[in-house]
Amino acid sequence: MGLLSGLARGLVRGADRMAEWTSKRGSRTFYKNRGARKTGVLTSSGKFVRVREMVPELVVPRLDAGFKLKPYVSYRAPLGTEEPQTPHKLFMEVVAPRIEKEIKEGTFDPDNLEKYGLERSQEGKIFQLYPKNYVR
Amino acid sequence: MRLTALLAMAARVKVPPDYRYGTSRPWTVGAQRMNPPGKKRRKVFVEPIQPEDWSLFKGDTVEVLAGKDSGKQGKISQVIRARNWVILEGLNTHYRYIGKSGEYRGTYIASESPLLVREVALVDPSDRKPTQVEWRFTEEGERVRVSLRSGRILPKPVVQRRDGIVPEQWKDGPKDTSPDDALEKTYSASLKTFEEEIAGATGVVETRAGRRTFWY
Repeated sequence: MGLLSGLARGLVRGADRMAEWTSKRGSRTFYKNRGARKTGVLTSSGKFVRVREMVPELVVPRLDAGFKLKPYVSYRAPLGTEEPQTPHKLFMEVVAPRIEKEIKEGTFDPDNLEKYGLERSQEGKIFQLYPKNYVR
Repeated sequence: MRLTALLAMAARVKVPPDYRYGTSRPWTVGAQRMNPPGKKRRKVFVEPIQPEDWSLFKGDTVEVLAGKDSGKQGKISQVIRARNWVILEGLNTHYRYIGKSGEYRGTYIASESPLLVREVALVDPSDRKPTQVEWRFTEEGERVRVSLRSGRILPKPVVQRRDGIVPEQWKDGPKDTSPDDALEKTYSASLKTFEEEIAGATGVVETRAGRRTFWY
């Protein structure tokens, strides 16, 4: 539906005020970003220094040897039956067996829960859980 | 608001609570011409049927009990629950012209008229007579429709996909993952985040931690 047919239908004049204002529309000196993030830092001399940590790096599994997953899934595959993982289930699968084993041996120490995975604070960790400081 | 007003006409419609549903679906152009946003029509009273008691589905064979084609059996092609309507293929038809333009009078077609659910009855597959149907549970715990006269279970009609693909007869292409590979369980629970697991698997050692941040 072009603008001309719209005008013919509506019999009103003027620009389309509701269209999105993008970087393609302004004058020669108009600059507007379209969402790309910076991959480095601009120094005082005007040189742009690329910072390796700011450049996204895709970590991809090896697709050649023994990788069975393909882009699409067959129509014959039924819906899966696995339930979504919850914190309770994660605890019961990972931590509870360790604690049970230690209680049976008699070496359970309620003051030293860090060896079963308890984290009293998120400081010093690279991937902090709260506030979440990683993209995924 | 000109170009975008035209584009918005193709978007999803929000339907007011006293909307009168017709045989055209609310997002079609014909229905929007019949029910423009400000229009109020006399209320149509519809027998309240609970969603769990509804027993007619698209593709079922039913017999018409009242009307012009009473006594005939047909397949349901459309169900409109808002008005308790069922539209059968080729039954209860009236004739009209479609695609009229200029001097051309259009094509003369038979168009089906909707029937209320009380005017049709499901057909028992064993003796092909109309029966009353009830929802009951099997021994496995499955909820099925049971004919009250003969006790036979009426299976729900198989919904055919609009693209014509029958999943059981699908042949996998070169880019299709097979069902066994797709359903294989390879997840092992661990207390590490996804990123930490990958760092451990690829041998990335990162000793720098970010600076302290605060949130309020």
